[in-house]
Amino acid sequence: MAKSNSMSKALVRRETIAGYAFMLPSLIFFLGFVIYPMVQCVFTSLFDATMNREDIFIGFANYVELFQDKVFLGALKNTVIIVVVSVPVTCIFSLWVSSVIYDLAGPACSAFRCIFYLPVVTGSVAVAVVWKWMFNNYYGIFNYIGTNTGLIEKNINWLGDEKFALGCIILILLTTSVGQPIVLYVSALNNVDQSLVEAAEVDGATKFQCFWKIKWPQIMPTTLYILVITTINSFQCFALIQLLTSGGPNHSTDTIMYYIYYNAFKLYRYGYGNAMGVVLAIIIALLSAAQFKMAESK
Amino acid sequence: MKKRKFMALALSCVMVGSLTACGGKDTGTNQTTADPAPASTEKAETPAETKENTDTQTAAPADAAQAAEITLWTYPIGSWGDSATVDGLIANFNAVYPDIKVTVEYLDYTNGDDQINTAIEGKQAPDLVLEGPERLVANWGARGLMVDLADLWTDDAKAVIYDSVQNACKSNDGVFYEYPLCMTAHTMAINRDLFEAADALQYLDEATGTWTTENFQKAVQAVYDSGQAAVGVVYCGGQGGDQGTRALVNNLYGGTFTNAEHTEYTANSEENVKALELLKSMDGIDFDASLVGGDEINMFCNSTFAMAFCWNVSQEKNNLEKINFEVLPMAFPSEDGRPQLCGGIWGFGIFDNGDPAKIQAAKTFIDFMANDEKQAIESVKASNYWPVKDLGNIYEGDELMTEYAKFVEYMGDYYQVVGGWAEARTAWWNMLQQIGSGTDVKTAVEEFVTTANTATSAQ
Amino acid sequence: MYMRHKQFNRDTCYKIVSVIIIAILAFAFAFPLYWIIIGSFKTSTAINATTPEWWPQEWVLDNYRKLFSRQVAALWEFHIPFTDISFAGPEVPAAIRWLLNTVFMAVVAMILTCITAAMAGYALAKKRFVGRTVVFSLIVCAMALPKQVILIPLLREMASLELYNTIWAVIFPIVGWPFGVFLMKQFSEGIPGEMMEAAKIDGANEWKTFYTIALPLIKPGIGALAIFTFINSWNDYFMQLIMLTSTKNLTISLGIAKLQAENATDFGLIMAGASLAAIPIIVIFLIFQKYFTKGITMGAVKG
Repeated sequence: MAKSNSMSKALVRRETIAGYAFMLPSLIFFLGFVIYPMVQCVFTSLFDATMNREDIFIGFANYVELFQDKVFLGALKNTVIIVVVSVPVTCIFSLWVSSVIYDLAGPACSAFRCIFYLPVVTGSVAVAVVWKWMFNNYYGIFNYIGTNTGLIEKNINWLGDEKFALGCIILILLTTSVGQPIVLYVSALNNVDQSLVEAAEVDGATKFQCFWKIKWPQIMPTTLYILVITTINSFQCFALIQLLTSGGPNHSTDTIMYYIYYNAFKLYRYGYGNAMGVVLAIIIALLSAAQFKMAESK
Repeated sequence: MKKRKFMALALSCVMVGSLTACGGKDTGTNQTTADPAPASTEKAETPAETKENTDTQTAAPADAAQAAEITLWTYPIGSWGDSATVDGLIANFNAVYPDIKVTVEYLDYTNGDDQINTAIEGKQAPDLVLEGPERLVANWGARGLMVDLADLWTDDAKAVIYDSVQNACKSNDGVFYEYPLCMTAHTMAINRDLFEAADALQYLDEATGTWTTENFQKAVQAVYDSGQAAVGVVYCGGQGGDQGTRALVNNLYGGTFTNAEHTEYTANSEENVKALELLKSMDGIDFDASLVGGDEINMFCNSTFAMAFCWNVSQEKNNLEKINFEVLPMAFPSEDGRPQLCGGIWGFGIFDNGDPAKIQAAKTFIDFMANDEKQAIESVKASNYWPVKDLGNIYEGDELMTEYAKFVEYMGDYYQVVGGWAEARTAWWNMLQQIGSGTDVKTAVEEFVTTANTATSAQ
Repeated sequence: MYMRHKQFNRDTCYKIVSVIIIAILAFAFAFPLYWIIIGSFKTSTAINATTPEWWPQEWVLDNYRKLFSRQVAALWEFHIPFTDISFAGPEVPAAIRWLLNTVFMAVVAMILTCITAAMAGYALAKKRFVGRTVVFSLIVCAMALPKQVILIPLLREMASLELYNTIWAVIFPIVGWPFGVFLMKQFSEGIPGEMMEAAKIDGANEWKTFYTIALPLIKPGIGALAIFTFINSWNDYFMQLIMLTSTKNLTISLGIAKLQAENATDFGLIMAGASLAAIPIIVIFLIFQKYFTKGITMGAVKG
């Protein structure tokens, strides 16, 4: 017993040295460019920091102000809306598309897959500028089609109208985020054990039952993975907002991500921006941990 | 397998190499010497050497006494935003000072401030920047980032530069952070053809370029009724061109933006509220949060709108090719027909990057561009605006400039040097967005003034 | 039998209708790209027409000409460390330089990420070292973190490292982002322990075990990660926006964004820029399409 204990101690030491040796290159970047700034972020959030002036320690005043700041709360709400809308819609939409196309003839399936993936590779800036044009109040294609088909009465200022702007952003975000899930679902559906499906069909199960009882559980891991990447994706919609609306009109498309930038470089409030960053980081960390726990338990 | 290992090794080598390379390159202190360039007195013409220097990307010869590399960032002020023109101006400079290498970056009004602000935090602020007092003095100057330009503001300079300009170029403590080059009065403009077709020209005085608020309303209504749904637009997608919306609001009923001492924002006055309510209620005028001043100009030029609030002579010059109608520049409408136009005063400021040689080189550059007899005229002409001192009639025979010259006398108070200006600007377009989306004018304006005044007192 | 037949019909109907709807949607998805490319060849009159030209009546190269004549930059620059000697390539339109910068950035970020993540993922999955859970939890929590959170500290850090306004300031945070490590950890879980034991008994040291046993097994995963990182860094507009300022250092995305800010309604010019930004990566995508889909799927198998 004692012997094996000391053996394992030596083993642990060896494993630890080897482990960290392998981790080292990655850790340098991870600690240097993610964790260190994050620590700085937490630290500076306790200060009133601005451009070219000594930081003044103010304790938690930034945080107190944060939760009284209407714009911040609005931005928080918008961020939540974007995630809550775009994640399920992306998942459901891509599952539906995949379930239809996965058993089509090879070329047709891959053509569809390819087309739905195009907006992902086009790049966020190129996508943003073309949508800006299409949404344009005066020579945009949406207003042209809308007014000519009688869907809308007169031109709508899509990105300049509080009622529509956030919806437009979400729509664009959706087009750029379904590509990957579709590819994933198509392959997951192709990997479903065909014999089980056939057995169920013989037993008289409908297509829907077949899907729900047999396929759905088998593609569950894919679904979880898609949830994770789509959530990450939804938090990365900065480019769309900065290029299309700058958070407007009337803060209706402000997200925390954009509001941090706005505070830093338009209002010079670094400490305040950092406090926002901390709050967002906590929310996201909790969300990731929850998703991960969910994935582990499955 | 071997190959991959080699690649990784090679890569890390390259990485380290380029790291040092990139780190050293842009700070570019390697060829500055202790002996700074003497100011504008000597003018050796050495064009041959100039060419050599501008062509090589490498360091200037080590033995050159006044050598320095400086960066100039310009906002689009007339043709100062156009690389072909600026290259010419810099070639003139290099003909005289071949050892000072000037690298230019061009900013826009949408992201320019963010760009400079990130660069400041990135410790790579430009050496020279061409803009107006609202940024140079009230913003970066007030934050202690700029160099005091006292040695450029000699008694001679003070004697010739107009007093109003002088006052705008110094901070409240009397420190000069800007050396001015040119100025203009911002106007608005109408599409004369459209107005004529709508029989709306009767409401304005073409000779003086003025109109009353009442006539402005009638004119807009007439143009709107003639089938032009979008007559004008209160653009508020960002801060670009916001002087136009401010001037419009202030002029309609004689409101002011700040008090006379420039210590407090007064945009919540009765006159301003009334003006905003009027604009909100007018047919043909929309509050558009998807546009900024630059968009408005473009869309005026392609006849989408019948008038532009973000206008001055330079806009007309720069867009001549695009415009296929007659542009009629107008002052902003006011109750008594005596407009108070918002001015623009542009000049150079120097960021204090801690390198005396560069600062000296930058000063030499300013002195050459703004004070050299021949060059000053060219520099001002490049901006398409007017000089800040008497240089004679530099636009002799230029009809367009003569047409716009009449507006200079309507120039109002230069209030942009008020404290907290950067924050107040941001709050202004946010306020317009609020009003546009239906918030009560009084509430929105009060919120604006509170935000802006808080920013003033914080500074 | 009759029942089955009816069901079959209904299913077929559903299928046909769905395929038609999806075909229409696919058309809508491809449309923006079509619009970018078509728009870049339109005259300015056609661009600003209230009635859009679905197919340009007149094809012009004006927009590209304008794009390429705007600014110039040296095609490449190389500086020998610790000296004043540097070499610059011939002057080309800045947009070409931007494209080159972007390719360089994406490729370097991809290679660095793959190397570091493969090693770290292997360690996390196969080494029972002290602090492993802590490190892994940190990684999971940081994975979804948007970079805006650490915007200000990161900017200051890059400034003090004198990396601001260099492509490295964009590359390093991408490499630091722990998603790759997470992905590679999931892959490495699948390496059979017995194979590693066997290698060890044969006298292989830690590095050799990783190199000869683990690496070949996780190769497909590395491929997936490479693709993922390449696209992500190509599209990582935010870091580029914050870290790069000089015209010669811009990436194509950033260049187009600036173009957009300067000429907000000159959509023809902007579309020319957007085409330039989008087409190279789309071509890469179409060529390697098979690997892309395979790579993406790989990532999920163990996710």
